[in-house]
Amino acid sequence: MNKTIIININGFVFHIEEDAYEILKNYMTDVKRHFLNSADSLEITTDIENRIAEMFTEILAQEGKQVIVEQDVTAVIGQMGRIEDFEYAEENDGPAFQNEYAYTGSRTLFRDSEDHLVGGVCSGLAYYFGIQAIWVRLLFAISFVFAGTGVILYIILWAVIPKAATRADRMAMKGQKLNLQGFKKNFEEELTSVRGNFNDFGNEAKPFVYKTRDFIGEFFHHLGSFFSQSGKVLVKLIGIILLLASLGFLIALVIGMVMAVAYGRVGLYHVFPFNLMEHQVNSIILWAGFLLLAIPLFVLMMVGIGLLFENYRLRRGLGSSLLIIWMCTLSVVIYYAVKIGSEFRHSASFTQNVNITPTGKNIYYLKLDEIKYLTAEDSARLRIKERFKNSTILNEDYDNSDDFDSPSNVSISIEKSDVATPVLVEAFSARGIDYEDALTNAQNTSYHFTQKDSVLQFYPRLEKPVNRLWRNQEVHLILKVPVNATVIVEKRLQNRIEMHNVNVYECNDMNKTPDAKSAMFIMTADGLQCKVDSAAVAKREAAMKNDE
Amino acid sequence: MIVENTQTQMRKGILEFCILSIIGRGEIYASDIIAELKKAQLLVVEGTLYPLLTRLKNNGLLTYNWVESTSGPPRKYYALSPAGRDVLQQLDKTWNELVFAVQTAVGNPNEQ
Repeated sequence: MNKTIIININGFVFHIEEDAYEILKNYMTDVKRHFLNSADSLEITTDIENRIAEMFTEILAQEGKQVIVEQDVTAVIGQMGRIEDFEYAEENDGPAFQNEYAYTGSRTLFRDSEDHLVGGVCSGLAYYFGIQAIWVRLLFAISFVFAGTGVILYIILWAVIPKAATRADRMAMKGQKLNLQGFKKNFEEELTSVRGNFNDFGNEAKPFVYKTRDFIGEFFHHLGSFFSQSGKVLVKLIGIILLLASLGFLIALVIGMVMAVAYGRVGLYHVFPFNLMEHQVNSIILWAGFLLLAIPLFVLMMVGIGLLFENYRLRRGLGSSLLIIWMCTLSVVIYYAVKIGSEFRHSASFTQNVNITPTGKNIYYLKLDEIKYLTAEDSARLRIKERFKNSTILNEDYDNSDDFDSPSNVSISIEKSDVATPVLVEAFSARGIDYEDALTNAQNTSYHFTQKDSVLQFYPRLEKPVNRLWRNQEVHLILKVPVNATVIVEKRLQNRIEMHNVNVYECNDMNKTPDAKSAMFIMTADGLQCKVDSAAVAKREAAMKNDE
Repeated sequence: MIVENTQTQMRKGILEFCILSIIGRGEIYASDIIAELKKAQLLVVEGTLYPLLTRLKNNGLLTYNWVESTSGPPRKYYALSPAGRDVLQQLDKTWNELVFAVQTAVGNPNEQ
């Protein structure tokens, strides 16, 4: 089954197969071009067309068919003769037949319809000047930058320079010698390859209107292909970005994983997300988490490569096994997330009182414990840690906090005591899978508080044995002091421990001493209040005014 | 190349003379002229004939009539004009001279 076209040869209608039509159209274009410069061009070509129509009619009648096929056209062309046969007969036949095929030794400017990015202007110019097309293109590309002058120039050239429609045009464009031998060879090639480029033919005899229409059609056709080209470039760009980004993340992930494994048991497993679980479970989760992130990154990388190289596709087997592994790791992570979540379901708390020896002046200094408190297990752990982290056993300032231990778990509030002696109430709380577990978790902690005369030292962290998991163990300290007791709070303490009703900074501001290292508070019947020395404040303000 | 060129020149002159002679026998259609030429083993393709006929016609040697055809477009039937007849006569004469010249120059062993 073949597509047929209806053609009209000087008023006679024929059904012709598409392939046959292409050959015929090509042939007639060449014939017309051949006789273009002859004074009798129209008459001759009309005669030839009429004769072809007649031969078609005869063929159809003889063979009792309705459609002209390729063989018929070839037969007719064979009888009518090829262009080079015309040439042969007309040789030396006077100026009337000296057509454009005559070799003048120079090139003719055409647009190259076969080698084009947009309209073929650049490659045409390149042929004309005998240089490589890439340099002309480069020149135009550069000129585009300068206020788009190149674009306008290009469109003008596009409109002005004729397209190399025929073999002869292209030969003239390339400056090839247009002799009989060259033609013969090219003609045979053209007849066989005509299917590919038949669209380029047959534009010669058309009036200006059609030429304009063709130009506009061609313009949009090329515009379309230009955009689809830039679309491809965009896709490639996305591919590169995807590839590089996922590769970068993947490398970072692998480095992180290697560090985690190397840092391992000692360093990592008391750091926040890892202190939730037992060590062996931690390893599983670590690997599962690694795969959970690494597989999608790997797939993204493959997608990037796929965008970059069109013929690359992720193998189906690999893709599905990756998916299965990923699902497994996902379920592992979900399982443990749920499990850990369940271990936080219940909470329990208990309190214990620590008596504070009253001092004669009724003044209490609240300070941060300078010395690192070490349990037996902790000292064993920390000695190893020292090697890695070079940390001292002193409690450093907050900006040099020596590890990433559990979230802040100590808080202090200062309240009025009903009795004359001050007391520290330690309220421990923790979470667990059930109440008993939670209570055990709370009990297994210890808080380090020391009193040296009037100095009360608070340790910034709640300690738990190293083998106990983090279950949101917290201690809330309530310091109860009698009315009229003076409490001096160190600024550093506030920096390290959450204090509920004490604000050293605010109190210092009120006293106009923002740089003071501590602030003085007094317990009143209404609760703790900042002690403001009005006289001293007035003096300082005066001094500040004098300075100005 | 020289041989080819000479052959072309010889054939071309003869071709024109032959076409005029064929047409001289009476009104004739282009493809019939081709048939006659093929019979005479002066191999040409039809495409070549049309420019030649058009040129001869425009030079006033030929006239033509449109004749309706049962198969396809109307046909051009060519005939000699009075000027064409004169030219044909002259060519006839020239041809006879040429035949004599060639025969004499090349020599006919039978007549020696």
